Amino acid sequence: MTTTVISTLEIDPDGNRGHLERARSRHNRLVAWGLVIPALAALIVSYAYPLVWMIRMSFNIGLGDGLYVETYSLDSYLKSLSDSYYWEVIGNTLFLGVLVAVLCVAVSYPIALFLARTNSKWKSLLVALAIAPLLTSAVVRTFGWIVILGTQGLVNSTLKGWGLIDTPLPLANSFTGVAIGLVEIFMPYAILGMMSGFGRLNTQLEEAASSLGANRAAVFFRITLPLSLPGLLTALLLVFVLTISTFVTPQLLGGGRVHVMATEIYDQTTGLLNWPFAASLSVILLILFGSVVALYQRAARRLGA
Amino acid sequence: MFNRYGKSAVMVASAAIVVAGLSGCASGKVAGGSSSTETGSCAGSPTSGTIGLIGYADIWQKQYQDAVIKPFEAKYPDIKVEYQSKRSSSDMLAALQSQGSSPTTDVAIMDSAVAASGNKQGLFQKISEADVPNVAHVKKDILDTGDYGPVLQADAVGLLYDTTKVPSAPTSWNILWDPQYKQKVSVVAPPSGLGINLTMITAKMEGEDFTKSIDKAVDRLKELAPNVQTWAPLPDEYQNIITGQTVLGMGQNARGQYYSDQSNGKLGIAFPKEGTMYQINTINLLKNAPNCAAAKTFMNYALSPEAQVAFAKALFYAPSVDNAELPADVADRVVKTDGSIDIITYDPEWLATVRSDWTDIWKREIIGG
Repeated sequence: MTTTVISTLEIDPDGNRGHLERARSRHNRLVAWGLVIPALAALIVSYAYPLVWMIRMSFNIGLGDGLYVETYSLDSYLKSLSDSYYWEVIGNTLFLGVLVAVLCVAVSYPIALFLARTNSKWKSLLVALAIAPLLTSAVVRTFGWIVILGTQGLVNSTLKGWGLIDTPLPLANSFTGVAIGLVEIFMPYAILGMMSGFGRLNTQLEEAASSLGANRAAVFFRITLPLSLPGLLTALLLVFVLTISTFVTPQLLGGGRVHVMATEIYDQTTGLLNWPFAASLSVILLILFGSVVALYQRAARRLGA
Repeated sequence: MFNRYGKSAVMVASAAIVVAGLSGCASGKVAGGSSSTETGSCAGSPTSGTIGLIGYADIWQKQYQDAVIKPFEAKYPDIKVEYQSKRSSSDMLAALQSQGSSPTTDVAIMDSAVAASGNKQGLFQKISEADVPNVAHVKKDILDTGDYGPVLQADAVGLLYDTTKVPSAPTSWNILWDPQYKQKVSVVAPPSGLGINLTMITAKMEGEDFTKSIDKAVDRLKELAPNVQTWAPLPDEYQNIITGQTVLGMGQNARGQYYSDQSNGKLGIAFPKEGTMYQINTINLLKNAPNCAAAKTFMNYALSPEAQVAFAKALFYAPSVDNAELPADVADRVVKTDGSIDIITYDPEWLATVRSDWTDIWKREIIGG
């Protein structure tokens, strides 16, 4: 039998915590703050302050060429939200985000499922191979797609060689090219996202269903797919937010034809130097982004993820 | 316990950030340029120090460093030039604006239209012959910049073509609309200056005064759209033709001449009869330049016949000074500044007021989705 000795310094006769306990608690707090403050300071300097500065900038009035009137005005927001062109740009951005997210998850799902379930001794290597494209910059991979999808690229040359087309298909410099490039570029993220959400997958449940007479399709649709939904949802969200905020691929592979929020912000920032307007577009993109994350959290709660 | 304190601290920190972000914003004040007054004083020694020079990236940087900066540093061994490269003049302007009234850059070489905006914003100093003696030789008929940064070099927009697929040098911009070149044309759309230039050229072809309206030009450019393979050629409009992706395009004569040599003549450049526009670079001294005296020494060297001829040989920019004698083979390939080419002129300050609107029109009506 063990006896716990409680110092009178820790708990006083009224049951309140003693000096030692309070000192320990204070010490723990200081240690916690000591650990948190460097990261918090970095976050404030690199993220929070620029974000507040950007929001403030969005209320100024842009005069072009980097000049603006410091004021509090909704002009930039009114200009974008009252203009059908910018609604079209918002629509393009969302459509591209949904399209790429769905296609990316659809092509990545079998790979993620295989990697999550395999007991192969090569599993670690296979996972590393699946995410290896992340070792190469998205810019480099986009240039790779320009070469593959170009008028004299691999796809068009092959189709022409087989006599299937006379004139090259407009694969690069188009929305199609951007979607193809983004699906490939974001596949590693989708695979990682899904694998992290496949925790509830259990092969024993599938075996039980099979032993009770369910065929392969029934096992997949009634056991595997529902249990992998949290992973699917995580991957969809991840790819969607990456797509709506991506700039490099639409700019390089779009041939100037794909107008999404990121490319508009770029033009306003570096081409026209209209920073208030660019800032207002960035805030709108941020709101879109936040809305989707909120919807995701709601859906994830329902699924119990 | 930590959560309670933590939440309070985060709220206080957030409030501080908001206050910091929102403070210092006087209502109605125009910001973005330099607020300092013009100074006549010049900091540093004329023969020593490190000059910050901001200029174009890529091939321009490489050729300028080899042809001008290295010989300058050899001539003035105690002066070092630190080159800050930017993709475009707009990028340079943004970088200079961010330096405010205490710049780290001394000299900026940029497009004259953007430099005019910088002058208006008070970013640059006025330059006199007393400051930079070679200013006396700068030809004012190319562009009169007043007392501000003088013209350093001149170039013009040319029609680029694949000499293996276009039998003879095109004489008209109309070739861009020729149906046989469907999906074989590259055009750099606005806000790039090339797209803006094409708008003005097309307006002139349509007999329209582009300072009043560009409706006819826009209608004509809409007809060009089916021929255009890309509105944002990569890696650039020159390589697109050299690699066979496109057959026609528009670009700068100087770079075109350089890449023509690199491609063994596959890339050709022509100045069509309807006219073209100058692309002029000026050399500008930053207000409150930290190494102002050495910067003036550099500017004087950059405007010397020696440097002007060397850069014309390296990248085919026309010299801006009247005492630079080019070899005949180089003189034939730089843009003529003697009036023999039809140059369409415009007021850079006026252009700054329409550039955003024209960019919008291109995106909505010409390029489409």
